Amino acid sequence: MRGKYVYLPLILILLFVFPVVKPPLFFLTLFFSVFMYVGLTESWNLMGGYTGYISLGHIAFFSTGAYTTAVLMNRFGASPFATAILGGLFASIVAALVGYPVLRLKGAYFTISSMLLSVVMQLIFMNWEFVGSSTGLWYKLLPVSIETNRFIFYEVMLGLATVITLLVRWVEKSKFGAGLIAIREDEDVAKTMGINTPRLKIRAFVLGAFLAGVVGGVYGYYMSYVHPEVTFNINTSLLLLLMSFFGGCRTWTGPLLGAVVLSLMNQLIVTFIGAEISRIIYGLLLVIVIIFMPDGVLQYIKGMKKIMD
Amino acid sequence: MLEGVRVNRRFGGLKAVTDFDFRVEKGQIVGLIGPNGSGKTTLFNVITGFHPADSGKILLNGNEITRCKPYDIAKMGLARTFQIVRPLLGLSVLDNVTTAVLYGRENIGSMAKGREKALDLLKFVRLDSKKDVPAQRLVASERKRLELARALAIKPELLLLDETFSGLNDTEVTDAIKLIFRIRDELSVTIFLIEHVMKAVMGTCEKIFVMQYGVKLAEGKPEEVSRNPAVIEAYLGKKKHA
Repeated sequence: MRGKYVYLPLILILLFVFPVVKPPLFFLTLFFSVFMYVGLTESWNLMGGYTGYISLGHIAFFSTGAYTTAVLMNRFGASPFATAILGGLFASIVAALVGYPVLRLKGAYFTISSMLLSVVMQLIFMNWEFVGSSTGLWYKLLPVSIETNRFIFYEVMLGLATVITLLVRWVEKSKFGAGLIAIREDEDVAKTMGINTPRLKIRAFVLGAFLAGVVGGVYGYYMSYVHPEVTFNINTSLLLLLMSFFGGCRTWTGPLLGAVVLSLMNQLIVTFIGAEISRIIYGLLLVIVIIFMPDGVLQYIKGMKKIMD
Repeated sequence: MLEGVRVNRRFGGLKAVTDFDFRVEKGQIVGLIGPNGSGKTTLFNVITGFHPADSGKILLNGNEITRCKPYDIAKMGLARTFQIVRPLLGLSVLDNVTTAVLYGRENIGSMAKGREKALDLLKFVRLDSKKDVPAQRLVASERKRLELARALAIKPELLLLDETFSGLNDTEVTDAIKLIFRIRDELSVTIFLIEHVMKAVMGTCEKIFVMQYGVKLAEGKPEEVSRNPAVIEAYLGKKKHA
């Protein structure tokens, strides 16, 4: 296994120094969203990939983070970045409260309930005056030029995505991860191994929510505007699932690949061709991947290599 | 070691286990037999906490486990296998056992140490040559040995085996019987097993419970039980008087 991904640190360093060459702002914006999807997909994968609990409510945690930042800045003029961590904490509290009952459900029942979580939260935020209800919340950007602004958020999100990916990778190779994978494979057998399955599931759920909340917290600051229909968009939850499955949800590399490829593709098609076409291509691609590469593109390539050898 | 007092379990209107008393002493190999649908597996599910008893008491080493969760019961030293073997198909043979070692009674934090101990167990069941093979590529008899290794990985004092011998050919049954004795003698694990293969029951058990319609029909040494008229009737039916 060692040395298999030696080129990844190299790419990472290049990405970190990339803004030095003063690229067009478009690239910084584009990459910001790629990094954001990497962070979200990796954090989603703790439950969806390793534990096998497919959640469509991840966006609720992301939005909790975004709103935490928005409210703290708009109402209290709080200083940024600390709010991102707070956003993560709020998101984990939501996850703990919801997870306790909902994680008793399995399969489609869990998926539907998790989806309802984000739908219900969206409704609440739509009607909650304090958080701006259906008009959303505006707040001030950093008092710096737009270039500096983009540059700062580019670096912060890249750092965040890196930390999340490394953390998820660590989980995958740890005892914690082994327990989660056992739950995915057979929850009853996992129990006979002495695995406290409810406790492990809630830990993974809360950790995933925390990470998504932090990402949301940074995003909320970057956007300078939050609105329930934008942040709680259920399509985003769906995208995370698709990205993870596209790359292959059983390893940390799958969601990384899926998030990078699909979010780049999506952004580029939307920018240069059109949103409608993007959806068609996107949908077609996913049908193809799910039918012909059910374990994701990475596993498929590995399998092909084996046949070639 | 394991004791049950008037254990009851029903599913809606169906009484699956009724007032069942049992006792397994340390170091014994005890059998549980009975026709299909007589409630044997349900009793195992009751003991291991998957379907907790409606009433009655189950004691493990004197501690009551009647309402405990399956994972807590595992931690108290009770391991089980499943009637239809359930290897974690997506994982390698070694990883199957490693996870159980990590979370079992030894509660090991280091993956490397867990793998080391798992490999020892695979050697014990003679599956070490297949350690890197995905579990789904094992044949039936290998899957059963994997299931045994995984159950042993939590370092149990008592092992419940649910039809470990079914589907094995004659030589495999003989090997499995030897393995059962090795588990008891070398690892000092007490064994309580459900079995239909008579060769295995008669060859291993010193005591047998016979179950029918959730009720205990007979109890005793294998030769006593096999001569018991009620048991013969349960298996073969009543002689018709013309």
